[in-house]
Amino acid sequence: MKILVAVKQVAALDEDFEIRADGRDVEADFLIHDLNEWDDFSLEEAVRIKEAAGGTPVEIVAVSVGPEQADESLRKCLAKGADRALRVWEESIGGSDSIAIARVLAAVARRESPDLLLAGAQSSDHAFAATGVATAALLDWPHAAVLTQLTVTPGARTARFRRELEGGLLHEMETDLPAVLTIQLGINTPRYASLRAIKQAAAKPIEVLSLGDLSLGAGDVGESGSLSHVRRMFIPEKGRAEMIEGSIEEQARRVIEIIREARGVA
Amino acid sequence: MAGNQEVTRVLFQDFSAGAVRAFYAVGYAAIAVFLYGVYAQVRKYRRGAPAGVPLNLLPRFGSMLRIVLNHRMIKRRDRQAGEAHRSIFYGFVLLFIGTATITLDYDIMGPLFGVHFWHGDFYLWFSLVLDVAGVLMIWGLLYMMIRRGWIRPPKLDYARPDRAPGDPDYDRSFYAFEDWAFLWTLLTIGVTGYVLEALRLVWLQGDAGVWRTRWWSPVGAALAEGMRQAGLSDTAAGVMRRDLWWFHGLLALVFIALIPFTKVKHIFTAMGSLMFRDLKAAQRLPKEPADAAYPGAQYITDFNWKQLLNLDACTKCGRCHEACPARAVGAPLSPRDVILSLREFANQTLGSADLPPQAQLDVHGKGPGQVAQETLWSCRTCMACVEVCPVAIEHVPIIVKMRRKLVEDGAMDPLLRKTLQTIHKTGNSFGESKRKRAAWTKTLGFPVKDARKEPVDVLWFVGDYASFDPRNQKVTAGFARLLQQAGVDYGILYEGESNAGNDVRRVGEEGLYEVLAEGNITTLSAAHFKRIVTTDPHSYNTIRNEYPDFGGQYEIEHYTTLLLRLMQEGRVPIARQLKSRVTFHDPCHLGRFNKGYDAPREILRLIGCELVEMGRCRANSFCCGAGGGRIWIPDPVGAEKPAQNRMREAARIDGLQVFVVSCPKDLTMFEDALKTSGLEGRFVVRELIELVREALQTEDTAVAQAEA
Repeated sequence: MKILVAVKQVAALDEDFEIRADGRDVEADFLIHDLNEWDDFSLEEAVRIKEAAGGTPVEIVAVSVGPEQADESLRKCLAKGADRALRVWEESIGGSDSIAIARVLAAVARRESPDLLLAGAQSSDHAFAATGVATAALLDWPHAAVLTQLTVTPGARTARFRRELEGGLLHEMETDLPAVLTIQLGINTPRYASLRAIKQAAAKPIEVLSLGDLSLGAGDVGESGSLSHVRRMFIPEKGRAEMIEGSIEEQARRVIEIIREARGVA
Repeated sequence: MAGNQEVTRVLFQDFSAGAVRAFYAVGYAAIAVFLYGVYAQVRKYRRGAPAGVPLNLLPRFGSMLRIVLNHRMIKRRDRQAGEAHRSIFYGFVLLFIGTATITLDYDIMGPLFGVHFWHGDFYLWFSLVLDVAGVLMIWGLLYMMIRRGWIRPPKLDYARPDRAPGDPDYDRSFYAFEDWAFLWTLLTIGVTGYVLEALRLVWLQGDAGVWRTRWWSPVGAALAEGMRQAGLSDTAAGVMRRDLWWFHGLLALVFIALIPFTKVKHIFTAMGSLMFRDLKAAQRLPKEPADAAYPGAQYITDFNWKQLLNLDACTKCGRCHEACPARAVGAPLSPRDVILSLREFANQTLGSADLPPQAQLDVHGKGPGQVAQETLWSCRTCMACVEVCPVAIEHVPIIVKMRRKLVEDGAMDPLLRKTLQTIHKTGNSFGESKRKRAAWTKTLGFPVKDARKEPVDVLWFVGDYASFDPRNQKVTAGFARLLQQAGVDYGILYEGESNAGNDVRRVGEEGLYEVLAEGNITTLSAAHFKRIVTTDPHSYNTIRNEYPDFGGQYEIEHYTTLLLRLMQEGRVPIARQLKSRVTFHDPCHLGRFNKGYDAPREILRLIGCELVEMGRCRANSFCCGAGGGRIWIPDPVGAEKPAQNRMREAARIDGLQVFVVSCPKDLTMFEDALKTSGLEGRFVVRELIELVREALQTEDTAVAQAEA
């Protein structure tokens, strides 16, 4: 059995960040990168399937679409139990929306033909929650999102899982494989990757693929391959609040003052 | 003493040839059993991993011999027991030398060379010395019996905090039985020796030579007088002497045969343990071998032979049990029981001819002889156990070695796991941005040099707590002002500094420690400075003792020694004497780890504080509970915390005003504990730096400030 786990290296804001000159993202210097929290859970789920498999061989392949620094997240996956790691990157991929990224992942899935593709339900930085399900659509595979429990027996052609619905309801489902399943936080407790394991994983190769390797063209990705675009990223102006104190008259006087100021009557 | 040339002691007089042969047969059998036992023990130790240290046998033997002969370590914190042990020890050694002398004369020099020396004046002095030795030994044994039977110090109670009644290895009554059997056996051998001596004198009272010199054996002679007065005849004494001789002889031989199989073996194992003692066992933890299949200890065979020898050296004296802060607050850990568990486990698994399958060698778990995770995670690595152990058992490296495997398997508190990930990501345990590390400097009103960019005399390694914790930042700023006032040329590393790694290493996350240490060493080697000063004892310890193993050799001191020097040079303008009644808490990593006991006390004296020591001070200081990564692990709700225990101890000092600390973690732990132990208002917790800064103000400014 082969499980493909799609992971993303997400960005978090450092203190006192600045917006990039083109106004469409945060200046890269102010970002701290790490493995997306959801992906930590989906990788753990794959490793648990492998550990419970007994004699049946299970191969876990972690894949990420991103620049070289994403290797750090892939190494964490290798340290925690992934057998191989793939990274797809070309400058032209920059600016891709979730659907364009899904196109790349679908191409990887066709190349690897896994029995199961696991992805995080969403990424913590952009939070579209679309990449996983879009990949399923492009592959024409069954999919389900926001899993809170998963049972897969290696060798079986189906998987069983549970999803949490609103109002405390649970959805228990079964799907044919191959399928794309997106994982919710809390489905398991991800293991600790010791620095020793991460260092040892540094010795394992990470295979880097280009668009050509996946039979994709520059038009499939990036700005040109995306139907949605970021117009600008900004910090909204903060609203102001003022506590008005004093007697009722004083308070009323202050309110009138504020209204006049706002109307520019002062 | 003319005329005494021929006097000696009878050995096998009136014994039939068969009886003598029988005695020798038993003697050889005893030696054979003894040798087999030694072989089995050595085989056990050899099943451990290599220790990977040069042996340096000769100097090590010398230092071991000094400790054994002066009994310095065994007398610490239990003077009477130490003195009694010294009595037993010297008595035993002299009696052993005595017996060996007879063997040398009778069985070796005589038959081989026809030389006999065990007679005449030599014999008389020999008799006197051995009589005194016997008294020493019996006195010591009697005291030990009184101690176990009536004084009953709690540390000799074998109740285990890490097991519940009913667990298969909860019952330690065999140890108590063994203790008493040991005492009674030795006592019986000693007392029967004197009775034999007396009977021999009565029996041979007709022999003028024997009778005339009998007072050279004063105890035996006095006993003989008593027997004669009681009407014992020489023939009756002869018969009794023969029977008792066999009893005494056989008991002694059985004792010798059993040495390797009983607690008596501590005679050898304690000497071995002392011989291979590492004076920096807790201060400088060992590196992990690069080629190991996994880090730390999973199986008993992962411990090295020296550690296996450590296990056998334990005499259950309970000093570590008494000193352990985790044990004191009821955590499921006693250093003694970790050692005894592992010893029982080693004997069970490595004691016989064949090594059992690996699955049975796993030391982690809750089965008999195994060590539970909760036990290992209760340890504060405060070194109280290692420091006080009279036989140089190194508990802390053993515990950390087991933790390393737990960390590798992720078997730890979720908060600790999170903290380790945070430290990896941000370089500090607060999860703050690296850029914020020096944010405290903004309040100073004067710039602090960036030691990465310009050369400085003193590089100040600030540490996580002093940099990020708001309460500690005030102290940190205070120290910067002191340095500024004193005109010290100093600088800090700004965001180039990372957590020094001392506690990460003691948690057992060796890989992360390596990253932190190597990162800091790279930053430090790019900077130009003469020496390092740190306000953090934890950083102080690892930079001083552990960075050298990673290629970072620096001259480093804790701020207390630098500050004292500045004060003595008159560079800190002390304006008044504080006249406060204070007590000082020795931080583990400054005091016990690095013996920095005196500088903080001298500073307190210079600013006019009246220092009242707590019972547990200096080497016996009581850990605040934050060490070994415990500051990142929540303490059990409801149970007393070590810091609260300490607050209660301080509160017993009449009129105490200030509880003085000199460690950022101490400040955090004790200010919190003062509130939670309900003692707030009785006294305050202050950093030494704060007191020194108070002493800079004249009485008037201080009053004005207090009123403002």
